[in-house]
This record gives sequence, structure tokens and C-alpha cells, in this order.
Amino acid sequence: MTAIDEKEIKDTVRSFILSSINLPELKDDENLFESGIVNSLFAVQLMTFIEKTFALEVGMDDLDIENFKSLNATAAFVLKKNGG
Amino acid sequence: MLNSALEDSRLKRRLRAEGRGRRLEVELQTEASMEQALADVHKARHEEFKTFVAHNVEPFAEQWDREQKFPEPVVSKLAQSGYLGCSLPTEYGGQGWDTVTFGLLNEAFGRGSSALTGVLTVQAMVSMVLLKWGTAEQKRKWLPPLARGEMIAAFALTEPGAGSDLQSVATEFSRNSNGFILNGTKKWISCAQFAGVFLVFGKTEQRPVACLVSRDSPGLSVEPITDLMGFRAAGLSQLHFENVEVPAANLVGKPGFALSHVAPVGLHYGRISTACSALGLLRGCFEESIAYAAKRKIGDKTVGEMGMIRSLIARMGTDLEAGRLLCHSACRTEDDHLPEAFEKAFMAKYFTSRAVVRTASDAVQIRGASGCHGSSPTSRFYRDAKIMEIIEGTTQIHEDVLGKMFVDQAAGWASDAGRLIS
Repeated sequence: MTAIDEKEIKDTVRSFILSSINLPELKDDENLFESGIVNSLFAVQLMTFIEKTFALEVGMDDLDIENFKSLNATAAFVLKKNGG
Repeated sequence: MLNSALEDSRLKRRLRAEGRGRRLEVELQTEASMEQALADVHKARHEEFKTFVAHNVEPFAEQWDREQKFPEPVVSKLAQSGYLGCSLPTEYGGQGWDTVTFGLLNEAFGRGSSALTGVLTVQAMVSMVLLKWGTAEQKRKWLPPLARGEMIAAFALTEPGAGSDLQSVATEFSRNSNGFILNGTKKWISCAQFAGVFLVFGKTEQRPVACLVSRDSPGLSVEPITDLMGFRAAGLSQLHFENVEVPAANLVGKPGFALSHVAPVGLHYGRISTACSALGLLRGCFEESIAYAAKRKIGDKTVGEMGMIRSLIARMGTDLEAGRLLCHSACRTEDDHLPEAFEKAFMAKYFTSRAVVRTASDAVQIRGASGCHGSSPTSRFYRDAKIMEIIEGTTQIHEDVLGKMFVDQAAGWASDAGRLIS
């Protein structure tokens, strides 16, 4: 995936989450962990999806709730990892 | 009227024949693509694994089960063959094999000894956690001896009061100037009797953590658990940690992520391994049953000529094929690094562990009284099979996870359809 923008990242991740979790909608700033949307099984599925879709690897140093807590945070993380 | 009825009948027969033809064509195409997917290298390795098991495992599995332990050279032989580091990259001394090959290895060993396969399971669980979440220094220090089998690892997650509910782990890592002071108890830990290192899960300041703990750490005692129903040689133990000092360098991942990100990577490989091990055990039940049914006579008929026995064998053979496809799917999706690999592994483990309980019960049934005696492998198969439904998540946990997942996915599809329509 090249030259992807923030909105595309958020829409792609949102689409994946909504296809997996029973939610009517998901806002950009909604906290995925505090709201209980992401459980332990889905956390690794979501991480794998992000790794596969955006061609990056989540490593030990990336284990920070700030990187994954919302769609906004995830988009920023993906852009940062891909040199954006 | 008569002509019309005949024409109608001929037309229906022709359509039925064409339908069968199309189905056959589809089946052949599916089979061909599956055959293609299971590449020649996989087949060759599977044969190698089965040969190894036939010579080095099957003849001794009953004895190990009776004695509730393996002789040390058995694990050394696994190490020399590269099986204990099969999934680790070659740069760490592993074989770099893909997950399909790892699955085939576990299937082959599952046919011989569920207990010995447990060594492959937990070694992979800890190794793959370190590969994913270990620091560069941890990988350099721990992965080569694990890959070479010089050190056996154990995955210390379950506690006397925390099995299926992982969030209730009570093991405590209190911070000190050098790292942590560990206190707590772990139970039902496979391979703990001979493991050199433990990946221990607990909490620090209410946040889940995972740390590597060496066997020789002062304050750690290992209490073997004996008289299990199955997996009797798997070296299960209870671990007692009393003021064990754990260096900060042994922390795996970051505090807060041990149960959400660290443990699931290990449990995922554990599920794949257990699913494939159960599949191998299922094959054992099937092979023993068809061999017995073909030769054992009652009156002038073999057991296999009896309709009731054929029914049991039909179900076994079909379960075997269905389990094979599910396990292969789980391994393939893992090799392709797809997010659905996790649900595929859940489905494979759920199916094979339940199927093998049915199959082992039927295998005993087919043999009758002799199947209940220790001289028949089916007796051990039956006991080991039940354990498959308990380890790496009970059947009920799998049903809870999979049931929720299917319902959520259906709701997601309905929402998608709604969004498209609107």
C-alpha cells in the first residue's frame, strides 16, 4: 500500500473492526480498549490485520496503548511506522 | 401423458447425472488444489516425521505412559532432529519451517504420543512469544538454546485459581531496584519437570506482565503432578515462587500487554499444535480401528463387515478428513499472516479435540474388552483424547469465543448490507 492517507487508514481499520465486532458505528476518537471493543483475541487479530494491510511489523517497542487506543491513534501509528 | 412423464423422468435423470458430473468435477478440482497446496516438500517432511515417530516414539509410548516420564535421550533425539526449533528462523539456529510443516510435525507426533507432542507444543509457544515480543538481547540469549533443544521451555500461565479466566491471575511481580520479586503459584504446567526456563505470567501494580524465570532461580520449587488421566509423561508440575528475584532484562513485552498481546501469541501456537496433535491421535484411533476391523472375526465375518462397525468407522474417517482440512487451513492462514488465522486455529482445535474424544471412544468400542486393557493403544488414546478438550482452552471457552465471533460477524454483514442499501 503506497501513499495512503490518514483517512484511508482509518476507513480501512474501521471497516475491519465493524466486520468483526457487533457495533453500529465506530468514531475516529472512540477508545477501543476502554469501551471493551477490543478483547485479548481481537487485539492480536487487529494487530495482525494492521501488520498485513500496511506492510509493517509491530514490535516490542510499539507496545503502547497510545498507538492503538483509537482509529486516530492507529492511523498516526501507521503513518509513523511507514515514515509518514 | 405417458410420453410426457417419460420425457420428464429422462430429463430429471439427465440433469441428475450432469449434476453428479459437475459435483465430481468440482471435487476433483478442490482435491487437486489441496494437493497442490500441500507441496511436495510438505509431503516429504511428513513422511520423514512419520518414520521418526514409527521408530522412536510409537514402540515406547505405552512404557512412557506407565512410567509417567520420558527417558532423557528421547528429548535429545528431538533436539538433534531440529524438531524443537522447527519454527524459529535459521539465524537463531532453528529450521525456519513454515506453520504447515509445524502442523504436520505435530500431527505425526500426535499419532505416536500425545505427551511427547506436548514438548513440541510448549517449546513453540515460548519460542514464538520471544520471537515476536522479545528484545534483541533476549532473542540472542534465549532463542539459540531453545532452537537447538539445549533448553526446554514451559509456559507458566495457569494458576490454582485462574484457568479459563486469565484476568484473575494472582501471581505477583513486585518491583525492586534490579527488576522484580516474584511470588505465587502456577499449576498444571506442562514440561515443568524438565524445563530449564519458564515464561511466567502475573501482575505488577495491577498490570499484566510476563517474565522469563530460570529453573535455577533461588526460591523456585517444582512439585511434579502425577496420576493424571492422560498426558501422563508430559511432566506436569506445580510451581512455587517464593521471593524469586527476576532481573528487569527478563521482562517480555511491556507491563499491561502480557494478557492482551504476549500470551495470545503463545496460545495461538499452542492451539495449532494441539489441534494437529489431536488430529494425529484421531488418525491413530482410525488406523488401529480399521486394522482391527479387517482381521478380527466374529463367527465367519470380520468385524469390519458389520454395519454397526462400519458406521463408526465412517464417522472416524470423515472426522479425520474434516479435521485435516481445518488444521491445514489454520496453518496456511498463519503462514500467510492473515488475521483470520486466529479464528481458524480456534475452529481447528475445537473440532479436532471434540472429534478425537468421539473417535477414541469408538476405537475402544470396536475392540471391545481388549480395547480397555493397557496392552492396547486405544486405552491410552482414550485417556489422552479427553485431555485435548481441556488444554489450550476448554471446549466451552472455544464455543464462547467462536459463537460470539460468528454472531458478531453476521451483524457486521447485516450492517454492511444496510449501509450499501441506504
